[in-house]
Amino acid sequence: MIVMAFESLDPRIKRWNLSLQRNEEYQSADLDQLPTYEVFLQMRDGKAYEHAGIVHAATADMAFVFAKEQFSRRYTCTGMWVVLSERVWVTDCMELEENVYDHIVDTSINADGPQEEYEIFHLMKRGKQHKHAGTVGTTGHQQAILQAKTQFDDGTPVLNIWTAKKADISATDAEDQVIWSTLKDKTHREVISYRAGDRLKAFKERQNG
Amino acid sequence: MYGGGNIFEATKFDNLTQEDPVKLDEFEARIARGEKIEPSDWMPALYRKQLIRMIEQHANSEIIGALPEGTWITRAPGFKRKMALMAKVQDEVGHAQLLYSAAETLGKSREQMMQDLINGRSKYSNIFNYPAFTWADSTIISWLVDAGAIVNQLANSKGSYGPYCRALERICAEESFHLKYGHHAVIHLATGSKIQREMVQDALNRWWPPMMHFFGPPDRISVHTEVLTKWKVKMATNDECRQQFLDMYVPKIWELELTVPDPNLKKNEQTRQWEYTEPDWEEFIRVINGDGPCNKERLAVRRNAEERGRWVRQALLTPEAKYVTPLA
Amino acid sequence: MDRAGGNIALKEFLYKIADDLLILGHRNSEWTGIGPLLEEDIAFSSMAQDKIGQSLALYQLLHELGEEDPDKVAFMRKAGEFRNCQLVELPIAEYEFSLVRHFLFDHSIFLRFQELSNSSYHPLAMVAKKLVGELRYHVLHANTFTKKLGTATEESIRRMQAALDEAIPYSLGIFEPSPYEQELIDMGIFSGERLLCQTWEQEVMNIIRQTSLKMPDIDRDQAKTGGRSGIHTEYLQLLLDEMSEVFKLDPGAEW
Repeated sequence: MIVMAFESLDPRIKRWNLSLQRNEEYQSADLDQLPTYEVFLQMRDGKAYEHAGIVHAATADMAFVFAKEQFSRRYTCTGMWVVLSERVWVTDCMELEENVYDHIVDTSINADGPQEEYEIFHLMKRGKQHKHAGTVGTTGHQQAILQAKTQFDDGTPVLNIWTAKKADISATDAEDQVIWSTLKDKTHREVISYRAGDRLKAFKERQNG
Repeated sequence: MYGGGNIFEATKFDNLTQEDPVKLDEFEARIARGEKIEPSDWMPALYRKQLIRMIEQHANSEIIGALPEGTWITRAPGFKRKMALMAKVQDEVGHAQLLYSAAETLGKSREQMMQDLINGRSKYSNIFNYPAFTWADSTIISWLVDAGAIVNQLANSKGSYGPYCRALERICAEESFHLKYGHHAVIHLATGSKIQREMVQDALNRWWPPMMHFFGPPDRISVHTEVLTKWKVKMATNDECRQQFLDMYVPKIWELELTVPDPNLKKNEQTRQWEYTEPDWEEFIRVINGDGPCNKERLAVRRNAEERGRWVRQALLTPEAKYVTPLA
Repeated sequence: MDRAGGNIALKEFLYKIADDLLILGHRNSEWTGIGPLLEEDIAFSSMAQDKIGQSLALYQLLHELGEEDPDKVAFMRKAGEFRNCQLVELPIAEYEFSLVRHFLFDHSIFLRFQELSNSSYHPLAMVAKKLVGELRYHVLHANTFTKKLGTATEESIRRMQAALDEAIPYSLGIFEPSPYEQELIDMGIFSGERLLCQTWEQEVMNIIRQTSLKMPDIDRDQAKTGGRSGIHTEYLQLLLDEMSEVFKLDPGAEW
């Protein structure tokens, strides 16, 4: 059997001098898995922060650096929050028009202790993203949800609640907004830069004429 | 970018009788109502398994799909094409990230998925096993393969699993630029100089057969997936997607005075269905099982990228940080 | 100052910055799709696109000053006509080299653009003012990674140190003074390479000090210069051949 020398069509890959023949299986050492951070974006000043997705990162700083490119490559934002997935508490998820606030059991769990601020996020419809509802000051995440009920439950069904300590959330500040300042000029990512209607029309006229 | 294909294994061997019938009923009723399933919901093991497989394959297709077009990034002609192609391939990596993240909500780690991809245990869209010989190939891929992917993605975006739908929403928004860019680039070649016209016609000739394979085997020889359709995991049949693609794009190809290398391709005005030479499904099976022109290279490149990057990922690991399944 | 007196000095100044950005943007784009981590792949690619976009803005300024259109200037010149420093044309090598190059170069261009925001040449000041914001992100990224990889594991420190040792002599070539240096300073275009280099050294050291890395002891005369007068390594012509391969199939065509 003749073994063909492997030559990639990609000049970058050609420079790697890759071998195609590997006998051992690929193993991710200890399945090295970075922790994940939940990312929230504020699209315009004054609007509520909304969940966008996650990034894998080593630290909050790195999560921010990554999230900025992964989630705000196209649409200008005014703010970004990142928080370790591990630091977010979640309630059960309701269905139909059930309100999770109707199922909160009053409890004295973690009622003692220092006061801290907790951010509350609501999911109003399955399939949509969680949105920031507000902040409560309290002694623990169970209490935070109880408190949120008194402050944010207006009867409109909320399907699911997330809560996290404000101290665990890394946030951008006003002066960070400058990093998004040139986004609107990145027209190379916009549909508007790729109009070829006139060219096509002129071609058709040439072919028919 | 992701098309259909031989992704669903036979479901008749998977046993639903082990599942709690009450919970199963509630689960199916929720789906029938059009409500999304979220990560914390109860779900049958089969649903979880098939969803992981489908989302994983889609994610794999994006990261592998970055390679044929990536071939031309350093050689893109002119600033406009250079920046556009960089942005497009970047989006594909971004889509892989979004999709792996969605699959992670179901309990499989990204590293495990990457490992399975590299070791040939999970699949990706077959079309990326073909070589991008010229610049025109990259434009045909950007146009037609993305067009096919959009047909598929739009169908799947109405599926039942919340995280996957949310990822697809983002993806579909970004894909609109891909399609426009691809079409723009092909139009310029087709309406340009002789060299350009010949290059793009040649590329189309080579990519048409894989494109006809893109949506997977015809419904009549496909694996039965009734339960997956009921669960809104599989949203449209292979043939439905293929017909939709032909309907939307063959006229656009013809208006550029390019020829499609299939003398039998035409729309039957009575049935309103496109007729074409039956693609070679034996070749499809051969290629998807490893015997295509670029299979080995694609996986070798992915493996190499992971291995070269290992020291970076290991340096980023922090002993105190614990990985937990992401939320949504 | 809108009408450029000392046109030659100004053009040469613009060319060297534009060429730096184009060549480095091109090099960094080589990582798209094959980076060490998906999120990092995405971030690095954005920065590469930014740099190419920045070079385009400067080539457009040159076009307004009578030079050829940006595509021609970028895709048709030979290596000897390019004015980039040698640092940016070197191959991407392993990721540590690309990161260290990104760290060293991006600090210099950030400082340069901050200064140019007040340049007496108004069109340039406008461009610089606009682009400075995105460079803030590039430097933030570079600092975050340098600090992390420069402290994390024995392997990461070793790799980063080796890359730093290799890159520093080339990075001094960024600040190779132009024969028109005094003219540019007198015109108020900017305050000169020497001052820029000093500020750059301080910024870079600020970060290095927070790591286990050591700045190599480099003499000024070990700096790899020549790029500013068109003297390049063999890598540049290879890069340009690759970059212009398709464009040259039909240079008059619209692609």
